[in-house]
Amino acid sequence: MNIPLISSQSASRNPFNRREFLGRFGMGLGAIALADMLPGDASAASDHGVLGAPHFAPKAKRIIYLFMSGGPSQLDLFDYKPLLKERNGEQLPDSIRGSQRLTGMSGNQASIPLVGSPFKFSQHGKSGAWFSDQLPHTAAIADDICVVRSMFSEAINHGPGVTFLQTGSQIPGRPSIGSWLSYGLGQENANLPAFVVLITKNKGGQPLGAHLWGSGFLPARHQAVLLRAAKDPVLYLGNPAGVSDTSRRLMLDRLRELHEHQLQETPDVEIQSRIDQYEMAFRMQTSVPEVADLSGESAEVLDSYGADVRTPGTFAANCLQARRLAEKGVRFIQLYHQDWDHHGGLPSALPAICKETDQPAAALIKDLKQRGMLEDTLVVWGGEFGRTNYCQGKISTNFGRDHHPRCFSIWMAGGGIKPGSVFGETDEFGYNVVSDGVHVHDFHATLLHLLGIDHERLTYKFQGRRYRLTDVEGKLVKGILA
Amino acid sequence: MRSPFFPRFFLLFFAMVGLGTAGEVGFNRDVRPILSDKCFFCHGPDAKKREADLRLDVREAALQQEAFVPGKPDESELIARILSTDKTEHMPPAKSKLAALTPEEINTLKQWIAQGAKYEAHWAFIPLSPLALEDPAASPIDLAVAKGLASRGLQFQPEADRTTLIRRVSFDLTGLPPTPEEVDSFLGDPASNAYERLVDRLLKSERYGERMAVDWLDISRYADSFGYQVDRERDVWPWRDWVIGAFNKNLPFDQFITWQLAGDLLPNPTDDQMLATMFNRLHQQEAEGGSVEEEYRVEYVCDRVQTFATAFLGLTFECARCHDHKFDPIAQKEYYQFFSMFQNIDEAGLYSFFTTSPPTPSFGLIDAPTKERLAALDQKVGELEKQATALRAVKERPFTGWLETRSGQPGIPGELARFGFDTVENGKLANSIRADQPATLRGENKLSPGVNGNAIEFTGDDPVDLALGNFKRNEPFSVSLRLKTPDLKERAVVFHRSRAWTDAASRGYELLIEEGKLKWSLIHFWPGNAISIRAKAPVQLDQWTQVTVTYDGSSRADGLRIYIDGKIAPVEVIRDGLTKEITGGGGDNIALGERFRDRGFKGGMIDDFRVFNRDLTAIEALATYEEAAANALFSKPTADLSAADRAALFDYYLAAADPDWALQMAALKETRGEWMKIQDGAREMMVMRELPEPKKAYVLLRGQYDQHTEEVHAGTPAALSPFPDGAPKNRLGLAQWLTDRRHPLTARVTVNRFWQGIFGRGLVKTAEDFGSQGARPLYPELLDWLALHFIESGWDTKGLIKTIVMSRTYRQRSIADGKTMADDPDNEWLARGPRFRLSAEMIRDNALAAAGLLSASLGGAPVNPYEMSEAFKPAAPSGGDGVYRRSIYTNWRRTGPPPAMVAFDAPRRAVCAAKRERTDSPLQALILLNGTQYVEAARVLGEKLHREAKGDVNAMIEQGFMRCLSRKPDERERTIVRQLYTEQLAYFSAKPSEAAELLKTGNAKHDAAIPPDAAAAATVLAQALMNHDACIVKR
Repeated sequence: MNIPLISSQSASRNPFNRREFLGRFGMGLGAIALADMLPGDASAASDHGVLGAPHFAPKAKRIIYLFMSGGPSQLDLFDYKPLLKERNGEQLPDSIRGSQRLTGMSGNQASIPLVGSPFKFSQHGKSGAWFSDQLPHTAAIADDICVVRSMFSEAINHGPGVTFLQTGSQIPGRPSIGSWLSYGLGQENANLPAFVVLITKNKGGQPLGAHLWGSGFLPARHQAVLLRAAKDPVLYLGNPAGVSDTSRRLMLDRLRELHEHQLQETPDVEIQSRIDQYEMAFRMQTSVPEVADLSGESAEVLDSYGADVRTPGTFAANCLQARRLAEKGVRFIQLYHQDWDHHGGLPSALPAICKETDQPAAALIKDLKQRGMLEDTLVVWGGEFGRTNYCQGKISTNFGRDHHPRCFSIWMAGGGIKPGSVFGETDEFGYNVVSDGVHVHDFHATLLHLLGIDHERLTYKFQGRRYRLTDVEGKLVKGILA
Repeated sequence: MRSPFFPRFFLLFFAMVGLGTAGEVGFNRDVRPILSDKCFFCHGPDAKKREADLRLDVREAALQQEAFVPGKPDESELIARILSTDKTEHMPPAKSKLAALTPEEINTLKQWIAQGAKYEAHWAFIPLSPLALEDPAASPIDLAVAKGLASRGLQFQPEADRTTLIRRVSFDLTGLPPTPEEVDSFLGDPASNAYERLVDRLLKSERYGERMAVDWLDISRYADSFGYQVDRERDVWPWRDWVIGAFNKNLPFDQFITWQLAGDLLPNPTDDQMLATMFNRLHQQEAEGGSVEEEYRVEYVCDRVQTFATAFLGLTFECARCHDHKFDPIAQKEYYQFFSMFQNIDEAGLYSFFTTSPPTPSFGLIDAPTKERLAALDQKVGELEKQATALRAVKERPFTGWLETRSGQPGIPGELARFGFDTVENGKLANSIRADQPATLRGENKLSPGVNGNAIEFTGDDPVDLALGNFKRNEPFSVSLRLKTPDLKERAVVFHRSRAWTDAASRGYELLIEEGKLKWSLIHFWPGNAISIRAKAPVQLDQWTQVTVTYDGSSRADGLRIYIDGKIAPVEVIRDGLTKEITGGGGDNIALGERFRDRGFKGGMIDDFRVFNRDLTAIEALATYEEAAANALFSKPTADLSAADRAALFDYYLAAADPDWALQMAALKETRGEWMKIQDGAREMMVMRELPEPKKAYVLLRGQYDQHTEEVHAGTPAALSPFPDGAPKNRLGLAQWLTDRRHPLTARVTVNRFWQGIFGRGLVKTAEDFGSQGARPLYPELLDWLALHFIESGWDTKGLIKTIVMSRTYRQRSIADGKTMADDPDNEWLARGPRFRLSAEMIRDNALAAAGLLSASLGGAPVNPYEMSEAFKPAAPSGGDGVYRRSIYTNWRRTGPPPAMVAFDAPRRAVCAAKRERTDSPLQALILLNGTQYVEAARVLGEKLHREAKGDVNAMIEQGFMRCLSRKPDERERTIVRQLYTEQLAYFSAKPSEAAELLKTGNAKHDAAIPPDAAAAATVLAQALMNHDACIVKR
């Protein structure tokens, strides 16, 4: 995680501040390098990352990304295709399917029958965007969001699919979006990490992995801090059983004295870092539980997120948590909600998962808006790919849909996104994009743009090459910008 | 993060290392870094992307395009373009997003042109050059460094004091701190070679192998799980133990390389040589349902190439997967030449989801006694088979007698099931042999008129399920059926006994139509562990064909047969290596016409399906086709029998009518059963096993698995040393090429990494990139000397390590005056000894060692320390000493790695990592302060200190410093820690319940002889010392 090694509090508590420290060891000019290694002046509160400042004026200061893991069915939520109902049971025409590769799950099926959505669709908001009756709360904020119906990806499976959305590469090992932002823009709040991950507790579905929020080849401090609905929201945050804050503070004071003594004996900057590291850790022990504690929220706010919000670790609780983290200046807040992988039983499973997610996601937008934060907070809702217009296995009343990377829908809101709009179009079968396709790299380029970053210029030189989130592709999607 | 002072500092530094000291501009030192970074992307080795047909990495080519006029910078286009203010002219262009050249860089280029624009071959590709030794008595390391220091007006620091030195060298050679006794003994050793004796002792310790192995595990992307999404755990730790042993035995490094790259290709490879090749198989592997097998197979091979190139060549070869390298002279084609050498194994791109079998190729790790038993049984099977052959000869006579007395019709014994598929009742299809085992008609499959009465017509998406068929591979069995296919099937499942195709690696047996031909297989793991034959002729379309497939229980391909319309079908052998069971994985019974995620028998028909628990003979196969024909043959007068008729009748006589033969076959089956049981029980290790014929290799367009272009063959890059004469064009030849003394990279890259392990950074800072974009060494002559010395010593790793740690350079104090340290914060010039935060493993092992908790056992299965209960994929801590084992034994699950280790910069082991980052974060402090492992260690250490000091605070502090910092405290430190102890004792005396709570942390029992408040205070005292900077930083 990305926390500066010097902050105002620790510096003021030091017997000699950094300038004295440099002076004391007569580090003339050379100390300038040292100053460079210790980010921020003692009075500055934030670290601006490698870019120092954004490339241009940002529209958004932070991102909340509601990741719907498993691949939500766009055909049953956003992308209304009455034709599928008309031709329910007929084979997908070869002319539509083209040469696209199918997954090994349905690719060998002898029959691939089209299947219409069992849900009712209606139009909402000034854009007349279509929503199924499974998303009443999202439909109600139609005027605040932009539905992108023309997303497409290359991965046909979850592992590579999620990894692609989160890191720009299908193979695990590259830095995730949040770690790029931490690296590029640094952190706003010295007491909280720049990149936080929240995962809905106790969900089944396709497994996630820590590489999704890892920092790849970027320094490890840029990886996300996983905020857990547990006794210790952050790994080993709390004192061990039997150690009170009083006992701990006393010990840390003596430890600091030992370090300061060592520093006087040995002119080694590492010791100064160590002192600050321990003071910072001590402060995190207060700042993290504070932000994780929802008890100060009003009943009205709590109710707006739905009944689940009172259960820690639910998507609703995490959405509210995300707003609180956003308020405190966390740059990238990544939520995961699993189990959208409806290969079978879609008509009964989809309503259940929509119930878990629809109201909290919409409440988050309203909550941000009410606080005037939607303007500079970018919210993204979406999964790793869409689902097929044909049915996996046999057609039945409780059918399922296979993975479909050729087109899927997401929505975005706030932070420079054109509100109340719909972008992109798919064919009448809901199989191919026909206009304004948005590739994963384009999506990433646009996210970075909204944060004031030229995606081609946020690079990290590794193994001789300048790597970036968007690999060698990516173009700005101007049509969704406000 | 950049302060406004940065450019000034940079300027100063530039002045120091750049032109200020050398009048002559060096191409490699000064010019290549600029051209490479700013120009080569468009004007470099990649021919396809080259702009304006200009390349600047080759002098002749640059001159041909008049890029510069040697001696005349002002007339050189190169300079003009860089200086141009015209946006369309300016270089690098805006679209490159590269920053403009600095005035210093421009000046360098101008001077370089003025001095004649001389080129040099890239330093790392030039052969190693010997160091001119001025003083044969001194360490060449120190000579080289002293020279460098002198040129900067610097000098060595004095030798570090002995307490510092023993702590430093103990960590460097064993990853562990010295014990207080070891410190005392070293301090008291009057011998002039006391330090050398210390080094020798450490190099002999088994802990040395554990410490050295850690870095190699990073290179090898070693993990105890497969990675990607499913990330199942896998049994690979014997390879890790082999690595530890190889370092401890000091296996010469050229052999260390050769065994891992090509152990299987050595003559009569030993088990260790086979096991070593697992190096190439430790990449991530995929099992997610629906994945494309070939896509991942290609990914695996690419990972092997990348790991090989990073580990041994220090080159970023993966850049050339999609196009010619942008910076280094590596063509895309050359990438695929390596690719072709790393793909020649019988593997699948997906491992089995439904079974736990390791992906093929694999080899059984069998202990010596079991090996002997296996060999004895193998011999016994051979003898029984020989006896059977002899018995055949003996049985000629009784057969002649039988021929005369035979009567009636030939029966087919051993029939287990027969289905006519004529009627369906409640979804069931009658079995006329066993009424209680009917078949089940699933889904939309239907009955249609067949050969006799009805047959099944298949949808391709639904099976007909039988209630039998779970044969073991020592059991002979046969299946007969009639089938009709409407079209030429590229692939179709006729029947099978298995859970799934790729998702179970086809474990079981199956009759498929592949490319229109019948294919009959018994499979443990497709493709590497199976027997399989395929008919040479395609199945006739749209007409009924009768098929009988048989198996004799031998686990050999020649024990498989296909009969078509009563006649034996000519076949080709597709696979002939079955060494493990064919049962298990689920799907225990025969199913017809469909398989999970496979292509079913769409539109196909099956009739008259019969199952036998015998290896049917030819005449019986004929009977399943046309009973009358078999009857006619059976009743043919002896005099009219052809030789073939006689042979068929003889086989039938033996199989059906001779009791001796039956006994012999029963004995064979039983002995094979015992033999196979041992094979089945062996642990299988993923290895490399070269295929007899290389697979075809192609340049893949944009690196995509299915975009084959030009065919390529094994070879090595033209820019590097030549392939040794006579070396085979395979992995073994590749290893010979690498370890040939002419090779410019292998030894340089290797010694650099060892140097990095000790000094914290390599002589070449970019240990993973010795190419044009990598860093150039400040001490190239030192690097070359070390490399040559290493080769000449017979690749003696321990010798090399000793040479390094014996040097004055290494033994210096690590703290210099403020100016020296600030001028060179990263210690590139080596004007002081190494100093850096310990690695993740060392930090944890150090705490355990200080507390006396560290387990001394070497090797074995991975364990879960306490932190694994906090991992993203939580696992309960191991029992016994599992939580106290060295960190190298920590279970490495890729999607949920040990969180504390990762916080201390351990790489995730997804891909090869040649070096680790070193970062500081508050999370690390939280782990050391609050993590169960560390709190328990402090508690145990605190109690130990208290016990040994009998409660005397001063003695506790003294010993605590020795255990945690390997030195004695000074007065000020004593005072501070005394105060700490007094405060904590007062606190816990007032809060007995808190003391009691604290003493419960971890599995170790509280020493009841120590009062709880004192034990708690001692715990906190130990915590303070264990969190002391000097405890976690090597100095």
